[in-house]
Amino acid sequence: MINRLKQELESTFREISVAVPGENGITVVASPVQILTILRFLKDRGYDHLAMISCVDWIKEDSLELVYLVSAYLTGDNEYTGREKITVTLKTRIPRKEPEFPTAIPVFENAEPYEREIHELFGIHFTGHPRLIPLFLEREYEIPPFRKDFDTREYVKEVFDKIPFVENKE
Amino acid sequence: MDRNQIKKWLKSPGKMAHKYSLWAIYFCTGCGIIEIPPVITSRWDAERFGVLPAPSPRQANLFLITGYVSVKTLKAIIKTYEQMPEPKYTVGFGSCPINGGMYWDSYNTIKHLDKYIPVDGWIAGCMPRPEAIFIAVTHLWTLIDKGMAKGYVKYREQYGRYRENQEMALGRLEWPPLFPLKDEND
Repeated sequence: MINRLKQELESTFREISVAVPGENGITVVASPVQILTILRFLKDRGYDHLAMISCVDWIKEDSLELVYLVSAYLTGDNEYTGREKITVTLKTRIPRKEPEFPTAIPVFENAEPYEREIHELFGIHFTGHPRLIPLFLEREYEIPPFRKDFDTREYVKEVFDKIPFVENKE
Repeated sequence: MDRNQIKKWLKSPGKMAHKYSLWAIYFCTGCGIIEIPPVITSRWDAERFGVLPAPSPRQANLFLITGYVSVKTLKAIIKTYEQMPEPKYTVGFGSCPINGGMYWDSYNTIKHLDKYIPVDGWIAGCMPRPEAIFIAVTHLWTLIDKGMAKGYVKYREQYGRYRENQEMALGRLEWPPLFPLKDEND
């Protein structure tokens, strides 16, 4: 099953690298323009569950890596097709400065909260996203807080430690 | 009722009544709330100490802050605290409300809860055992007996300062001030 998927991916898409690190996982590294096509391809092959979108900040290589985890639900008859155990990890890298990426909502609708989260924590602008508003955070941050150049200690000193105790107030 | 306490009951019935009718608001913050279900149910049975959970802040007078307080939670905590009728008591549960605990350098966690609302007592530990809640409750009884659990009075008197701190952390608050904004010490 997993080798067939690997062959299909390699024969359909050019310039992607496919690796099979374990018996249940398959890792695909692709260029940013290919991602939506690959997601749609996987969905057509029965991998219809977008489990997560994650983001990694590679500050030394000056790039942000988007990671899509796609797996398969059971079919309607609860029959095993062999796909259920396979998780496809789809990775791509985009530049760190003013990052933009097309939204995955047309393919997987549940990408909406993940993209909002990545938008507020890493500052990636997802073009075509219908409501890119804050998800968790109340405060506004100059640098998105999950980026590696965000100094949390300095931020705490600047913001929370400067609020005085009520007893010490003038 | 304990016969030895009849004198106390006759002397200050109000205090005694406050002591033995602590209703804890069932407000879930952080990981510490996992300790509360065994505490209020048959395993540890908080009713022995007169503590029962209340479903709404308007019926509660004990506020257990059971874990780390994020900026968003602080807003909910202030709203809940201001709705509770007086006299009300706040107990910080776990290390995180005291000074941030393991979130001491987090970008979104409130470090010292007592900058924003008054706290009558702390239970240190990560996590404290359920027994620690009962020790805190008995300490709270002592404080009420001695008239030292006056956090709500402090909140009323120094509301301007608390509100200022709250606005420093949360930005502009969308609800009107609970008390007049003057400071008695000014």
